[in-house]
Amino acid sequence: MSKITRRDFLKRSAASGLAAGVILSGLEKPARAYSGTVQYGTLIDLTRCDGCAHLDVPACVSACREENKSKFPHPVPSEQINNYWPQKKKEDWSDKKEIINRLTPYNWITVQKVSVEHDGRVVEVNIPRRCMHCDNPPCSNICPFGAQAKTPEGPVLINHELCFGGAKCRSVCPWGIPARQAGVGLYMKIAPQYLGGGVMYKCDLCYHRVTKGQQPACVESCPRGAIQFAAKDEIKQRAEERAKEINGFVYGDKENGGTSTFYVSQVPFEKIHQQLVRQKSNQPNPEAPGYPLMPVNVGNYLDTVNGLIAGMLAAPLAGAAVAGYTAYKKMKDGE
Amino acid sequence: MGKIKRHGLSVRFVHWAVAISTIALIFSGFGQMPVYKRYMIDQLPGLAWTSDFSINLLIHYTAAGVLIFAVAYHIVYHIIRKEFDIWPRKGDFKESYLIIKAMLTKGEEPESDKYLAEQRLAYAYIGVMLIVIIISGIIKVLKNLPSISLEMDTLIWVSTVHNAATILLILGIVGHLAAFVFKANRPLLPGMFTGWVDEDYARRRHGVWYRKIQEDKKTNLQHK
Ligand code: HEM
Ligand code: SF4
Ligand code: SF4
Repeated sequence: MSKITRRDFLKRSAASGLAAGVILSGLEKPARAYSGTVQYGTLIDLTRCDGCAHLDVPACVSACREENKSKFPHPVPSEQINNYWPQKKKEDWSDKKEIINRLTPYNWITVQKVSVEHDGRVVEVNIPRRCMHCDNPPCSNICPFGAQAKTPEGPVLINHELCFGGAKCRSVCPWGIPARQAGVGLYMKIAPQYLGGGVMYKCDLCYHRVTKGQQPACVESCPRGAIQFAAKDEIKQRAEERAKEINGFVYGDKENGGTSTFYVSQVPFEKIHQQLVRQKSNQPNPEAPGYPLMPVNVGNYLDTVNGLIAGMLAAPLAGAAVAGYTAYKKMKDGE
Repeated sequence: MGKIKRHGLSVRFVHWAVAISTIALIFSGFGQMPVYKRYMIDQLPGLAWTSDFSINLLIHYTAAGVLIFAVAYHIVYHIIRKEFDIWPRKGDFKESYLIIKAMLTKGEEPESDKYLAEQRLAYAYIGVMLIVIIISGIIKVLKNLPSISLEMDTLIWVSTVHNAATILLILGIVGHLAAFVFKANRPLLPGMFTGWVDEDYARRRHGVWYRKIQEDKKTNLQHK
């Protein structure tokens, strides 16, 4: 074994640490690039929404469907869509496009209705539901193909060209928002009998409008001004003020580690959640996705692993340190 | 029959830490896609956990920590000790062709140093893939933090590089294990477990290395 001095050894160890630092610092750039853009948020005031009682289809729902129809799936005909081999099922909504009481690939916003008892009276609550556009969206972070991303403006987008339809995003979303359509997308070009499941669809907060300085279609269409759209900080403040004003509650500020959608309600969200759970359990298939609940303070799927980050970043340093120690000791022992 | 020391504890630790963590990473990496549920692997006895994304992610992170530790250990340890026996050399492609030809035709093999030319190439190939996977993996880990968000194009690149390098790594590992289908390579196996190989084998196949060891022994004796 060659002889090295302690100084040599320190120099070599420092060099390996430096290399790691250079790699890490390169990552700050994309993170910083975001700071120039306004991040938007929405406030959904449940004291204002009446579910458009006078209409067959709530105004926000029909506006959303009209505005986004060009983005809806165009799968092959139903009878040509394969089951998810070896399973005997597929998620095909192409003959149920008219459904509006749940989230589907053709219906990105739905208005839920519950009766909640609070302070001795029964309150009817109508809740427009769609993607919350979370601050640290697990749906986009965990996509194995990078087919989803959070934009600088806030909306979380699914790339319909790249999505393989594994529906993992739906599993890790606390509200199970993304909906799957089979028979469309990239997997159809590979081996649709055996691999892939389709493409996931959900609200993109009318990103094509937002980037043009317009409001999302649902916001604009609401006759009661129940959905507001503005810079996220401003919206958050309005939500808190409104909640104070009506002695009510906010949902979406803490949930999933923070979102850019703020619901304000007179009745506690725990009670709304309870009613939604009850409704869901009475359904023919209580497991069916597309009926989001409202779990209060629900955590983020990534919380656990993000807790491991220190250990992760320490691993190379620890490996280098132990190696240095072992090598140095061996050298002293003349091996 | 005499035995000869081939690998110290450090080398064996690194090899097995890398091998076991890599296998765990590949398994849990596939578990990042919904494959175990879709193909009903989770219905097999004892494998119900495989369709749980959280468990797979936890295994993936933990195994990645072990792999990164071992790789850092490996690099620093051998640089400090200036041990570069397994670093690829000029002419390795031609030499490994001759060795493989000799194995297939039972002909005469060129004499080797501590490692055969194809081992040096295998090392470089697997090493490059691991580094690429580690760097893209660290970026993927960092973007999961609330404070770090990447643009869609960057995400697509990083994911594609991570996935493609994994496929190439799997091919490399299959090739590595296939090497032991040949009887000629099997005497190396005990070396990776115990650290010792047959002296006969070393003299016959790794002549360059064998002579170096004999000379080292002589000079060491002279010094003492
Ligand atoms: C699981 C079963 C495995 C066995 C039985 C095994 C066995 C061996 C043996 C006997 C050697 C030869 C060392 C020498 O020359 O003395 C070796 C080398 C090596 N192994 Fe493995 N190994 C396994 C898995 C892996 C895995 C999963 C990886 C990578 C992720 C890996 C990476 C390497 C590398 C890079 C070398 C050096 C290059 C070479 O000798 O080809 N091994 N292994
Ligand atoms: S609500 Fe669900 S789908 Fe929407 S950004 Fe959050 S995690 Fe993703
Ligand atoms: S949010 Fe507005 S448009 Fe939508 S259901 Fe409520 S009142 Fe109607």
